[in-house]
Amino acid sequence: MKIQGEHVFATPRPQVWEALMDPEVLARTIPGCKGLEAVGENRFQGALDIKVGPVQGRFQGTVDLSEIEPPEAYRLRLKGRGAQGFVDGDGQIRLADADDGGTVMHYEIDAKVGGRIASVGQRLLDSSARVITRQALEGLERQLPTAPEAAAGGEPSARPPAAAPSQVEFAGRFARGLLAEMVPPEKRPLVGAVVLGVGLIGALLLVRGCGGG
Amino acid sequence: MTRNRVIGTSVKRREDPDLITGRGRYTDDLTRPGMLHLAIVRSPYAHAVVGRIDATRALEVPGVVAVYTAADLEASGIPGVVPTAWLLPDLKTPPHPLLAKDRVRYVGDGVALVVADSRYSARDGADLVEVDYEPLQGVSNPRKATEAGAPQLFDEAPGNIAFDWELGDAEATDRAFEGAATVAKVALRNNRLIPHAVEPRAALAEWDRSAGSVTIHMTSQNPHVHRLLMSLASLGLPEHKIRIVAPEVGGGFGSKIHHYPDEALAAWCAMQLDRPVKWTATRSETNMTDAHGRDHVTEAEIALDEDGRIVGLRANTWAAMGAYLSTFAPAVPTYLHGTLLSGQYAIPAIHVHVFGVFTSTTPVDAYRGAGRPEATYIVERLLDRAADETGLDAAEIRRRNFVPPDAFPFQTQVALAYDSGNYAPALDRALEMAGYDDLLAEQSRRRADGDGPLLGVGLSSYIEACGIAPSQVVGSLGAQAGLWESAKIRVHPTGSVTVYTGSSAHGQGHETTFSQIVAEKLGLDVDQVDVVHGDTREVQFGMGTYGSRSAAVGGSAIVTGLDKVIAKGRRIAAHMLEAATEDVVFEDGAFQVKGVPDRAKAWGEVVLAAYLAHDLPEEMEPGLEATSFYNPSNFTYPFGTHVAVVEIDRETGVVRLVRYVAVDDVGNVINPMIVDGQIHGGIAQGVGQALWEEAVYDDDGQLLTGTMLDYALPRAHNLPSYELDRTVTPCPHNPLGVKGVGEAGAIASPAAVVNAVVDALFHLGVRHLDMPLTPEKVWRAMKEGGRS
Repeated sequence: MKIQGEHVFATPRPQVWEALMDPEVLARTIPGCKGLEAVGENRFQGALDIKVGPVQGRFQGTVDLSEIEPPEAYRLRLKGRGAQGFVDGDGQIRLADADDGGTVMHYEIDAKVGGRIASVGQRLLDSSARVITRQALEGLERQLPTAPEAAAGGEPSARPPAAAPSQVEFAGRFARGLLAEMVPPEKRPLVGAVVLGVGLIGALLLVRGCGGG
Repeated sequence: MTRNRVIGTSVKRREDPDLITGRGRYTDDLTRPGMLHLAIVRSPYAHAVVGRIDATRALEVPGVVAVYTAADLEASGIPGVVPTAWLLPDLKTPPHPLLAKDRVRYVGDGVALVVADSRYSARDGADLVEVDYEPLQGVSNPRKATEAGAPQLFDEAPGNIAFDWELGDAEATDRAFEGAATVAKVALRNNRLIPHAVEPRAALAEWDRSAGSVTIHMTSQNPHVHRLLMSLASLGLPEHKIRIVAPEVGGGFGSKIHHYPDEALAAWCAMQLDRPVKWTATRSETNMTDAHGRDHVTEAEIALDEDGRIVGLRANTWAAMGAYLSTFAPAVPTYLHGTLLSGQYAIPAIHVHVFGVFTSTTPVDAYRGAGRPEATYIVERLLDRAADETGLDAAEIRRRNFVPPDAFPFQTQVALAYDSGNYAPALDRALEMAGYDDLLAEQSRRRADGDGPLLGVGLSSYIEACGIAPSQVVGSLGAQAGLWESAKIRVHPTGSVTVYTGSSAHGQGHETTFSQIVAEKLGLDVDQVDVVHGDTREVQFGMGTYGSRSAAVGGSAIVTGLDKVIAKGRRIAAHMLEAATEDVVFEDGAFQVKGVPDRAKAWGEVVLAAYLAHDLPEEMEPGLEATSFYNPSNFTYPFGTHVAVVEIDRETGVVRLVRYVAVDDVGNVINPMIVDGQIHGGIAQGVGQALWEEAVYDDDGQLLTGTMLDYALPRAHNLPSYELDRTVTPCPHNPLGVKGVGEAGAIASPAAVVNAVVDALFHLGVRHLDMPLTPEKVWRAMKEGGRS
């Protein structure tokens, strides 16, 4: 499974870089992350609660950063294990200056997923991964000062810390994610009501799925 | 008095009242005091090196009693493997250990055992066993697995090739193709299937320490075969110290023939802990560990002369074996597949080449039809492709090439000798029932008018070799077993009968069918006959139920046993009647002097005399009981023609099977209702393969269709009411004239349905589509036409 894309932050590159290197910030922004701590140089260890369709479980894992070129790029290797299977990822994050003083992040991660999370949750895996990625990036964005704030010496902590998204939020985002793939932008307003419905159904499924596995 | 015949009537299944009211007792229904539960820790990786296994956290789970790994099995000194029972020349047989030790080779490979006092604790414990894996590249496609650079699963099998097998005359086939007027080809994939018996596999093992024996209740199609393999290869206990019981078994379709590690592991745990141990597979476990079916990659071609007569056929197949060689796996793509490539046709030159290939997937073995659906699919797709290329009608090209009725026994170019057959009447009847000409006219009309869904008609004229099997023949081909069957006829002093059969049923209705045979032969009511099966302590020996063999081989064993009983009865009756034995005949339930009906002794009188033993012929032993072992002299060759009619939605590509006509010739019929039921179920499974089912792995060997959310089984509303009929060409070499019916539907139907769909899309340039024919695949083919 490939997770790739780009995200534009309204924050200058040094601050984005700094946040990406701060396990506490990351722990707050990655949905389902239950703590992330540095356990060596450029090595982090933590736990992540993942829910894909009817499969949910805690994954213990490590993230290794290498080929670090501040404030521009690094490579990350991710290994997660849990009762529900495994996730192994290898990818690269690159940052570039955006025209308006913000930052463009390119990310590309090749992930292998196996065990129950793959065999049972397969149908939802790609979409779930994209939603989790987007949530993490949006969470990170909320932690960062915008470019003018940064210029004025604004502090990330001046913003309220991002809470982990609720299941209903997740379902809504999941549905929007599907919509983004299926419907051309100009038609999206027409199906707004449908999205809400799908989101609610998705939430019900997720809630019901809590006992599953 | 002439009695009504019992054979040939639809006696209601005596099995059903219990089964449909919930009184049937399956393995998982059984409990024992002090019983423990086993959960198996399975690899989430398709291919990996196994490192440290840490059970600390698992052992902390309340209720967990023990955690074992391969090292513990090894320390116990048992043989500890699961062998294959069919050896081809130069077959690579790397050992399949009960638990993986250094390396795992498919998702689901067992690495550790957790035993606990409840199944919940056992599963919670299994989730907490920490296993270090060092992932390796996996490979799931059998053809890709043979290519340079593919990951190697076993050092002893370079290129992942388990065997390289050929049959037929390659040179003669080359010559036939060189001189041919028309050559038609097809490259196809026979999709991998997951069996999906209603009842998952299960075992309950009890260790009797004083006797040194183990009793295993388990989901088995062949308890004696399981006992033999458990004894020799897995547990190392002598055979007489192992009792296998198959209580009610909820379907198998082949998946419960095979010997797996899991049931033996439950037995081993019971022996270690001296307590009963039960293991029941979850549905996900079933999907990843029950031997899968099919999974062939094939390139095939057919050569014809200018009259549309077949002059040659060639097929190259890469057959996935999965990660280990399952019980009968090597036989399935070879002797149950390559030998069937003559179909119903007189083909003067055939050559088949099969590679059996290790892949990092669940092992593959016999699944309803086992090799024969794959062969039928090749032959019947090729016949349609030949019709395309020659411009002949699909029915006409078949009729033109049938083995003519006066050519039997017919020796094919691929080893089999068809004993009997009469193919054209079944085709003609099927076409008549379907209204073939009208359907084709309607198809043309819809194409011309652009109106209504697209209509397609597909034929499948199949043959199968069942009644498996003549022991000498299969022995010479590599089977490590004889495939005869046994029966014991125990006549009780008051005349009722208990039959002990080695043919162990799992839903087929043996108790009903076999009672009918006995009732017919002895002139009894079916209620006076009991049938015992599925218990190695009760039954003398048996090879089990698969390969459509129960009536032809198991039923014939009962008949030869009855013949022995009747022969002794005639001697006793002759003694009582003061007549010569050769003058006494047994008719309509009485022994009588030939031509003198009032000089007769009833069945009950003679039986009682045998047990009283007051006045028996000199040197005759008392009692009336006979054991027989019936070894068939040939396979049986059921055949028939099926017609599928499909409609395809022009906008969405959804295929709807609107009619299904099946005319089968399974020889004499003992119970028409049961025969129809077998045909129904077989068709549903074959249609499932054609339209919906596929076990999908990613390139690395992750099973992506692990649940019924993603593995699409047919449902009742997907299927039409079948239109069935039969022709009857009795089998000439067994006493019942029966051939077997368990697999016919699954063998014939995939080709019929695919032929129908391709026929519907023919005018758009489509010449072949691989199963399953999902709406997406069909829709793309409609858009892309000839480029597909």
